[in-house]
Amino acid sequence: MSISLPTYTRREMPLLGRRHRLRAIIVTGLRREFKRPATIVATAVGVGLVLVSSIVFVLFLGAFLPGQARDLSFFFVPASNGAILFFVTLMASVVGSALIADDLNSMALTLYLSRPITHADYLIAKAATLAPLISMIAVLPLVLTPFVAALLGLFSWTIALEAIGLSVLLGLLFTAFYTSVTLFLSSLTTRKSYAAAGVFAVTFGLTIPADILSSSIGNSALLYASPWEDYLALARAAFGASGNQLDWPWALAILLAATVVASLATYLRMKAVEVVSG
Amino acid sequence: MSAVAEAAGVSKWYGEVLGLNAFTASFGTGITGLVGPNGAGKSTLFKLLIGQLHANQGTLQLLGENPWNNVPMMRRLGYCPEHNQMYGWLSGQQFVEALLRLDGMPAAKASKEASAALKVVGLSGAAHRPTRTYSRGMRQRAKLAQALAHDPEVLILDEPLSGADPMARVQILRTIADFAKDGGHVLMSTHVLYEIERITNNIVLIHNGKAIASGDIHAIRALIDEHPHAVRFETSQPRQLAQALARMDHVVSLEVPAEDTLVIRTRKPDAFYKELPGIVADTKLEVRGLESPDDSLEAVFRYLVG
Repeated sequence: MSISLPTYTRREMPLLGRRHRLRAIIVTGLRREFKRPATIVATAVGVGLVLVSSIVFVLFLGAFLPGQARDLSFFFVPASNGAILFFVTLMASVVGSALIADDLNSMALTLYLSRPITHADYLIAKAATLAPLISMIAVLPLVLTPFVAALLGLFSWTIALEAIGLSVLLGLLFTAFYTSVTLFLSSLTTRKSYAAAGVFAVTFGLTIPADILSSSIGNSALLYASPWEDYLALARAAFGASGNQLDWPWALAILLAATVVASLATYLRMKAVEVVSG
Repeated sequence: MSAVAEAAGVSKWYGEVLGLNAFTASFGTGITGLVGPNGAGKSTLFKLLIGQLHANQGTLQLLGENPWNNVPMMRRLGYCPEHNQMYGWLSGQQFVEALLRLDGMPAAKASKEASAALKVVGLSGAAHRPTRTYSRGMRQRAKLAQALAHDPEVLILDEPLSGADPMARVQILRTIADFAKDGGHVLMSTHVLYEIERITNNIVLIHNGKAIASGDIHAIRALIDEHPHAVRFETSQPRQLAQALARMDHVVSLEVPAEDTLVIRTRKPDAFYKELPGIVADTKLEVRGLESPDDSLEAVFRYLVG
């Protein structure tokens, strides 16, 4: 018997920089996510529901909110849509919880880190995979709503553009918070279901008790514990809506601090991870 | 270069478990085999060498540098892990390509080099199939392809032959030998001495986290030949395969412990591994995979360590 095989020859090759290497991780991650029915459904239903409900509010403003002025403060209504909270949480748990946990579980992390990739590169790429998907729910519908409202002539373009700008800022902050917290939870475990449960616990485990306790005790300061209430405080302040129980600078500080601390903790956690097998 | 890798008194603990115990050894140029039973510390040493574990004690150098947190050095390495599987939904081509992109290779170049590497390991025909549909031997070859596709200086191969079928073994060993012939260095772990013997004489024996012998393989060959070497086959035709292999006079026992398993013992493992691909090809019997339980090597190590 004879076997004929091609032979290996060494080659010289030009190499691209860090940006291209990060893009390779992001493209692989997004390609994976858009092959998963859960991601597609969460994205389509989340964007669709938030957008449709926001536009319905715009179209039937008089019926839903009699007396609501057609000014910037109206756009607090779509920004405070509870569907945003639900679908952002769903997206973070469906997509984000697996991003690091799966790599730890399958030990794909070993292969990533056997390349010229730092832990920071890896985490930035993972964040850049998750953030666009979350922002499709937290930002996109809030941008499209004023746009549609202005197109229909229900609001002036000046107000609509201002609302778009504020919505982008608010949505990005909310996206950053959920991205960093989700990646932190994902880095703590090799089981994505645990991380997913953690995301729901952060959202509803903080929001619902904070709401119940603050109203029963009559202490609105407890609402600071809820990221959703912090976000709403910021949205009220940004759009000039009334009824703010919280000071927006504190709410902003809490959301930013939580985002930064979760990011740092994830980085430190990943630096400490030793990939053990065999 | 005198040594590709050097370890001096390296210890690594996982909690209370000792992974490496004051391991001291030098790995020279060309191909060096790291031979030891499962749990001996081979994977731990390799993880330390690629900077993914941090030694609790001792010093470690690869290509003259400390590998811990040494990201630029990763360009110079090709690593083939034993167990890892990166996303089964990726095709072999996408798998190798994605890892080449992480090295900073342009997309078109990565595609071309991935195809070339898959051809070298004999996976061209399955390049566009998802890797989750690959046999274990095919996955080993895909991992080898990603390890060598970016033209590293050193290949670190953790049990690259584990579970591979006879033809895949020939292909993998040939690829490794060609890489070394072309000036590359290879550190390869195995718990089957006879596999590595076909491509190098330089070995380091590791047992319970310690280097217990190193240098020329022939010194311990006679000792090892006293212990029949076991090979477990995964096949749908164990009895027909047993009949074919029984013709080898150095095969001392044949056993069919399950419907899809055959275990043989031979006193001349080198001759056995040399003749096996021919027998399988001639008889056209299906062999899905083979591996060697390390009990025969275990006996040798017990003897060596007293």
